[in-house]
Amino acid sequence: MSGTTQKRTLTALKRFIVSKTAAMILLFILLSAAFAIISKGIFIKPKNLVNILSSMAISAFLTEGVALLMISGKLDLSTGASGTLCGMFLAYILRAGFPLIPALVVTIVLGAVIGFINALVVNSMDIAPFIATLATSSVMTGFIYLIANKKTIDVSNPVLKYYGKGMLFDYVPVSALVAFAAMVVIGIILHKTEFGRNIYLVGGNPTAAMLAGVNPKKMSYILFSTCGFFSALAGITLVSRLQSASITGISAQRFQGITAAVLGGISFGGGSGGMAGAFVGLLILSTFSNGLTVIGVSPHWQNVASGLLLLFALTLDVLNEKRITNTVA
Amino acid sequence: MSEYLEFQGISKAYPGVQALSDISFRAEAGRVLALLGENGAGKSTLLKILSGDIRPDAGGIVISGEEMSFPTPRDAILAGVSVIYQERQLVPLLSVMENIFPGALPKTALGIDKNRLRAEAKAVIGKFGLPIDPDEPVGRLSVAYQQMVEIMKAYTRNSRIIAFDEPTAPLTDTETDILFRLIGDLKAEGKIIIYVSHRMAEIFKITDDVVVLKDGKFVKAMRTQDTDERALIQAMVGRDIGDTYSNLSRNEEYGDVLLEVRGLCTDALDDVSFSLRRGEVLGLAGLVGAGRTEVVRAIFGADAIEAGEIIFEGKQVRFTEPRDAIRAGIALCPEDRKEQGLILSRSVRENVTMPVLSKLKKGLFNMFLDRDAENRLTQEVIDQFTIRTPSINKIARELSGGNQQKVILGRWTNEKVSTKLLILDEPTKGIDVATKAEIYQMVCDFAKAGFAVIFISSELTEVINVSDRIIVMHNGHITGEVMRQEATEENVLALAMLD
Repeated sequence: MSGTTQKRTLTALKRFIVSKTAAMILLFILLSAAFAIISKGIFIKPKNLVNILSSMAISAFLTEGVALLMISGKLDLSTGASGTLCGMFLAYILRAGFPLIPALVVTIVLGAVIGFINALVVNSMDIAPFIATLATSSVMTGFIYLIANKKTIDVSNPVLKYYGKGMLFDYVPVSALVAFAAMVVIGIILHKTEFGRNIYLVGGNPTAAMLAGVNPKKMSYILFSTCGFFSALAGITLVSRLQSASITGISAQRFQGITAAVLGGISFGGGSGGMAGAFVGLLILSTFSNGLTVIGVSPHWQNVASGLLLLFALTLDVLNEKRITNTVA
Repeated sequence: MSEYLEFQGISKAYPGVQALSDISFRAEAGRVLALLGENGAGKSTLLKILSGDIRPDAGGIVISGEEMSFPTPRDAILAGVSVIYQERQLVPLLSVMENIFPGALPKTALGIDKNRLRAEAKAVIGKFGLPIDPDEPVGRLSVAYQQMVEIMKAYTRNSRIIAFDEPTAPLTDTETDILFRLIGDLKAEGKIIIYVSHRMAEIFKITDDVVVLKDGKFVKAMRTQDTDERALIQAMVGRDIGDTYSNLSRNEEYGDVLLEVRGLCTDALDDVSFSLRRGEVLGLAGLVGAGRTEVVRAIFGADAIEAGEIIFEGKQVRFTEPRDAIRAGIALCPEDRKEQGLILSRSVRENVTMPVLSKLKKGLFNMFLDRDAENRLTQEVIDQFTIRTPSINKIARELSGGNQQKVILGRWTNEKVSTKLLILDEPTKGIDVATKAEIYQMVCDFAKAGFAVIFISSELTEVINVSDRIIVMHNGHITGEVMRQEATEENVLALAMLD
């Protein structure tokens, strides 16, 4: 028994060394070292490291939802819009006098319902998720403007403030802690439960999975809803941090989930990747954008650079797919 | 001096395998040469070298005295080589005529000269006597006619050498006859033809020479008329496997009626009724498109039923999704193992355990998958079916076709699944002779173990010899039923073509 476990750990170790995750960890280390040197040490000061950690919370939530969908072979481009809409909605109903807990619950349910609607559009009309969620995203952006009426909505709530800006032991941002905990839970679900396994099966080959008793449609409803749920959490996190909701919301971060997932080895083809990789992807992404700020790159050039990083991630994905299909004669 | 194609000492290695070693033989003009061998014998690699897809490590190709090298597929085409693969290389949205003359479209000042193109395409289509409309988009043609378009494409390129990679695998018998006629025409014109197939009957019908490869090595070359099926199989397998069918150890005792289908109608089926006992192997024969797959998909809950009753274990059932059918004890091994059967990117273990995960759990509230139980079950399946894989964690894509099929069989017949009715849709498609024989015996063993088995195959010889009873279908309904003892290829085929 312990023998097989040991052997399993060994092969897992071997696979890790040659894996993409290892290459990405190396990239992360090189990137950090470069920023540390260029910024003359400012990059690795504790204060900046805490900055990086807190900036990771929102993208971590986005990554979690989108990664699950991508493993199942689907995609959601509306996370930025739905997260922003949910944040806006939360601020609106808090202003209207809703108590905090019910307001949070309703907001999160709203996120899940938006995800469910995405699944409905994708499934009932058999539209590619890419196109369907682009359309729903545009609808939601419209609603954001309608609700906000061009203004930001201020929120002042001590509990939200603690969640958004508070630190545990002075160095650990509370929101990041929650986001990382969610990541661990998802990792366990993916690798240790039947539901998680089914996500991989459906992503690998939906027809074969269906004929073996998994219902790919049902899975897509659950996973789109989950993605909406996490988008809502991302939106709530931003509102908590800024103590206000604006029309831009988390739209600047809308592609971060996908970028982190792809950098972390989750392919658009579905059926592969996992949370450990996604975490490394997230680390690279956050280090990258923070590092650019610290060394004084202008925000516009930062946009260019994040676009290039996404392109780099996509290239890796395509190359990897090619390698797989080529080795099979 | 007539033309010829000669392979001279071709070798090719992939990491870990010597795919071809020192292969030499010659194919003559005006003759059809059969290239035979089990899966993994190196036939496909050799064809890929001929078509310029891959380059050999050593050796060369000589065409009529001229040494050739094909660094790219284009060079092979220019030298007059066309290889027709199972996967069509056509543009589905373009018309037949545009596909026949790719890159050589007649032009006017304003663009493509459609009239001339149509006339030229008609001439070629007429020459082969095919009922194809030159304006039809290729995507709308049947697989067989798409293949004919591919042949015409090779013909109009003035190819001297035309190689076919298992061309009849997706074809019905009538379509196969048309293909053979075309090959006969090409032969009469003095083309050099190479023909790869697993089907023995075809080899004797249309080929003049045979070359046998095994494990990447040349075994022997001979005239087809000087050999027989048994000798060829022996050469391919390396041992005498005797008469496959008469050596089967069959189940003799049937149990009670397990499945009864009454008046089943779907959009592809019309009033299908039959019954099946435990321990019985029921063959479904018919041409491609006769509705055999549709019958089992309807029973399995994968297609919608319009009318009719299904009685399973004495209870009337109608499954709305495969999950319910699986729970009740029905298992389907689908016809396309790579597209519908396996999850190629996942491990052997995950492919085996997928329908029984709910029985492989442990921990708090039985929430977690029991990896050790999964490993044990997979190992048992690997041992029982002698699946050749280096590890239970090997990706399914990397197994050979026969071993992939065994993974699917193991998935549905292991101790954890409660299968009572096992449906096998084309289980031997694209599988080598030795593994086919193994699978036939497995089918009989499943029956002995008390499963009721539905066995679908487009290969007549196989379906009549393995099944105990054969139902023949045509155009969505049943045209007849024969017992194995009475079944011949002729009477089954006659029923399959009956309207």
